Amino acid sequence: MTFLRRVGYGPRMIRNFRMLAGWAAALVLCATARAQTAADSAPLTSQEMTSAAKIDSFSIPTPAELMAALNKLGKPDWSDEIRPPIATNLSSRAQMALNLGGLIADGYIAVEAEDAQQVKNIGKDIMTLAKPLGVQQDILNRGKSLTEFAEHGEWIALKEEFESTQNEVKKAMIENKDQDLVTLVTLGGWIRGTEVISDYLSKHYTEAGAKLLRQPAIVRFLSDKVMNLPEKMRDDQALKKVRSKLADIETSVSFPRDHPPTVEAVKTLNTLTSDLMNELAKKGGK
Amino acid sequence: MKRELLIFTLGAAVLSGPLCAETNDEPTARNAAYSVAGAFTNDGFSIREGHWTGRIEVGKPKIVQVNLYAGNQYWFSIGTTPAAKKVSLSIYDETGKPLPSEPYADNGKAAAGFSPEASGPYFVKVDETEGDPCTFCLLYSYK
Repeated sequence: MTFLRRVGYGPRMIRNFRMLAGWAAALVLCATARAQTAADSAPLTSQEMTSAAKIDSFSIPTPAELMAALNKLGKPDWSDEIRPPIATNLSSRAQMALNLGGLIADGYIAVEAEDAQQVKNIGKDIMTLAKPLGVQQDILNRGKSLTEFAEHGEWIALKEEFESTQNEVKKAMIENKDQDLVTLVTLGGWIRGTEVISDYLSKHYTEAGAKLLRQPAIVRFLSDKVMNLPEKMRDDQALKKVRSKLADIETSVSFPRDHPPTVEAVKTLNTLTSDLMNELAKKGGK
Repeated sequence: MKRELLIFTLGAAVLSGPLCAETNDEPTARNAAYSVAGAFTNDGFSIREGHWTGRIEVGKPKIVQVNLYAGNQYWFSIGTTPAAKKVSLSIYDETGKPLPSEPYADNGKAAAGFSPEASGPYFVKVDETEGDPCTFCLLYSYK
């Protein structure tokens, strides 16, 4: 919906537009829908799978998608997963970008918890971290929208706002020739999301829930990206901490489809991700 | 009353063509993809803002990896520039095995509905089966 914003439409108009577009398209779909058919095409070759596109903004799910899946298995009390405020006066750009991703994931959690004050606090912290990264101006309007929607309890709109905020941060980073930071924002968000879900599951374990932690391709994608970062950035203390834990995290989320991790294994994953997030949030990480 | 008039005006814009005149192919394909994906928002699906664009032609499909969660339902929606006459979407598991999906296709647009039984990586193949080389945009929605 960023496109519609750019051509001058406000959030409410966009939602109205979506609804109307939805009705129009639904009529067309209803008229042409067919019964579910069995797949009849040939399997993909290993070459096709290897060369398939893998894109940050499409191949890596948002925290909201993971939370949507978990919400179907029960009614998590997301307020239990809200963490205390983190330091925002960090000196390393890599550390800032990782924590910015973590904060955006925190935003989704606050929205699920329907905690307006937390949403506003997180929005403020995002703006604070965005400034030294040179992307604050690009998300000024997002900061205002987060506050406005939080005050009015517009939780669905807030989920969209956090996704848009993340996308605009990354777009601004690319425009600023800081492409490498994009990977770190994604990585920070994914680690924080995995920490939260594994914490919830370690306290409310079910096999179905534990299967949601299966994310081998995501961590492989992120590991490859980290390995391809410039040497100077890879040597950043924050990145060293990430690299030292990423292999263990990859092992924890790479179990077979039909063999969910035990509650002990979920707790191990939670310890790994929780320790890492705590380390990343510490000042003086350069 | 003004609000209803505004909604009607926007709707007319949707039904009559692209929201705004741009010569770039990507916005055209993206608008087409959103017009398909919009159908699913009434059923509670959220549209992922990220999208995948590129060029395809008959006999030269493109494939993208996605990561899906068991329990969620997904709709993949593709829009193209007018050069495409027919396009299709196919979904595969991480071993490359084709999977059944709910199909929809109409004049250079298509969608595929899918509910994964296991969390993990999947592949989506974008194929043009009739028409000239075109630009496409792939989106997905989930709930």
